[in-house]
Amino acid sequence: MNLICLVKFVPDVEDFKYDVTRNVLIRENVKMILNPDDACALAFCLKVKEKDPDTFVEIVSMAPTSVVGHLEDLLRRNFDQATLISDRMFVGSDTYVTSRILARYLEGKTFDCILTGTHSLDGDTSHVPSQVGEALHLHQMSNIVKIEETQFKTGWPVVDVDSERFISSYRVGLPAILSVSKESKYKLPFVKFKNLELDVSAKIKIITNRELGFRADEVGLEGSLTQVAHTFTKNLQKEDRIFVKTDEEGIDTVYDFLEAKGFI
Amino acid sequence: MDKATLLEELSGFLTKDQINTNYDDLYDASADRYKKYAKARKVLDVPLPTAIVYPNNTEEVSKLLVFCNDNRINVIPRGGKTATEGGLENWKELTLVIDADRLNKIIKVDEYNMQATVEAGVRLQELEDVLRARGYTTGHSPQSKPVAKFGGLVATRSIGQFSTLYGGIEDMVVGLECVFPNGHISRIKNVSRRAGGPDIRHIAIGNEGTLCYITEVTVKIFKHFPENNKFYGYLIKDVDTGIKVLREVMANGYRPSVARTYSEEDAHQHFYHFHKDKCVLIFMAEGNKDIVEATCRGIEASVEKFKDGILEYVDSKLIESWFNHLNWSQKDIDDEFEGMLEKDYHAGFTTEISADWSTIPQIYANVMNRVRNEFPRAHDLTMLGGHSSHSYINGTNMYFVYNYNINCEPEDEMRIYHHPLQTIIVEETLKLGGSMCHHHGIGKYRNEWTKEEHGSAYYMLEKLKETFDPNGIMNFGTIYPQEEGVKFQK
Repeated sequence: MNLICLVKFVPDVEDFKYDVTRNVLIRENVKMILNPDDACALAFCLKVKEKDPDTFVEIVSMAPTSVVGHLEDLLRRNFDQATLISDRMFVGSDTYVTSRILARYLEGKTFDCILTGTHSLDGDTSHVPSQVGEALHLHQMSNIVKIEETQFKTGWPVVDVDSERFISSYRVGLPAILSVSKESKYKLPFVKFKNLELDVSAKIKIITNRELGFRADEVGLEGSLTQVAHTFTKNLQKEDRIFVKTDEEGIDTVYDFLEAKGFI
Repeated sequence: MDKATLLEELSGFLTKDQINTNYDDLYDASADRYKKYAKARKVLDVPLPTAIVYPNNTEEVSKLLVFCNDNRINVIPRGGKTATEGGLENWKELTLVIDADRLNKIIKVDEYNMQATVEAGVRLQELEDVLRARGYTTGHSPQSKPVAKFGGLVATRSIGQFSTLYGGIEDMVVGLECVFPNGHISRIKNVSRRAGGPDIRHIAIGNEGTLCYITEVTVKIFKHFPENNKFYGYLIKDVDTGIKVLREVMANGYRPSVARTYSEEDAHQHFYHFHKDKCVLIFMAEGNKDIVEATCRGIEASVEKFKDGILEYVDSKLIESWFNHLNWSQKDIDDEFEGMLEKDYHAGFTTEISADWSTIPQIYANVMNRVRNEFPRAHDLTMLGGHSSHSYINGTNMYFVYNYNINCEPEDEMRIYHHPLQTIIVEETLKLGGSMCHHHGIGKYRNEWTKEEHGSAYYMLEKLKETFDPNGIMNFGTIYPQEEGVKFQK
């Protein structure tokens, strides 16, 4: 099978420090991580490849070239190829333009299925997979928590989708875009110790606008019809810590706190 | 000899219930807490031992050792299974783990002569409970006290949390009985002191099962006065201040049972209830009333001398509360094991070193600097700090404590995280003339530095091995470096 997995690298929001005196997030030196939902999509691809070693998995990401190290890190886990779509012209593209750029690259490819994550940690709009589906005339399904592996190869897998109130099962005809949720618990394996220094540079391909051929007014800020009107930082306050003893009063305090916060 | 023949021959002189070949038990016996995470995740890369055997007495230990010696079978002596440095890890296809489980008798508590004799498989807690009921204590209190057994405590040169007053196990052992690979049983008699040649107790104490099997131990006992315990706690400016106060107390001849200084990071995890992101200095004075009063005066005077570095006094009740929850029970160990099954997480690791007073702060600073600048996974560290917890007139120890987000497969964790960190600590310590292992023993993962640790005196260590274990059957790979074991280390 030929699988393509769309991934994105996002700032590690867990790593944000908060300056309570200025009420701002400290964004400097925040490390980039693989978007957790995308990691699950990649993990599923590796599961398929494990059972069927002839499976070819290509990772596709649109990002600055600074993510090459992250892509190499992924390739050391047994993926076959990574394609980085990167061009200064694409900077500032909104989700619609991003989807068009991805779709233009993908329309020339042969694949059995495209896997993506559902949500991204930074924007969380979940537009891109469905917009890519629209552009490629493919069905797209989000919030997938399970893909039946045995039927996957037949081209008509059953997927379980988290619809918040219940899990629905759908049979999907491939090729399609399947967007996996991190609730799927598909776990991306780590790089093995013996592969930590593996040279995978030959497996990385960089695609620029020279190959995709957009006009300047079609992409980037200029080509994006949607604009971010306003962003704001959530107000956080530093709260005093409370120390309690392991006596009845202390236990009551902790219980009341957990109850008030809805944990109990 | 193959495994089947080995088991068949064993059944010629042991009963069926003395030979354990249960898979889960053998898996458990194939490694100790050094590889706790890989072990929990069932991805250990070392061979299973052939069997665990349970001798009933010293004579059976002797028979077993002769059998193994004649047939070149590796032997791993085992007690409470609390080893942390690979001392219980198996590197050989043919291995017998000789477990002290049935050597479990408290032979004698001699209050008048202030000593107690136990078999190797007696848990420290068991003797301590017997002694406490009579108003005495062993004075030995490693965190593993509820689980650790005397054979292992002596074989690894263990130390307890009250060592500044009572000393390490080497100061407590009066005499012992041990068995050598050729079956010879040596009994070292119990006397208060003697000048009868070199102190041969020290051939057995700390041998880590590489020279002999310890079967019986006699230790000193001490009167116990818990009602006199006094606690002190301080938030301090830095680790250096803490070390200076500790030195002042020790150099003036005082012997508090607990004398510790913690870095900010380490204090954060131990003293969540008062640390305020500062370094912490604590003391506990114990003993008879007069001694406690004198010790308290000594502590107070030492703190006063370095008052510029003292930021805040801590309520002594908070120190007492911490002190009462120090030890690791079997449940704590089991809970950590369960946690490792569910998450990419464990409770962290430690590496303990020692040096003289002037060198310790330098080692600490060098290690912190190297780890932060050279360790490739420094960004994964969630904790890096240390504390000094065992002091002597001429120096102290440093217990480096570290934990990290485990971003690797369980089988690679040692090579990617723990071992590189331990390597930095050991290298920096040896470079400045300290000892690479204060109280955990060398085990199998610091053996690559055993020669450097001992320098020209390694000759003596080597000759002991050649003399007592010429066939190399005792705990292969522990203390003494082995080419064959490198594949498990690197």
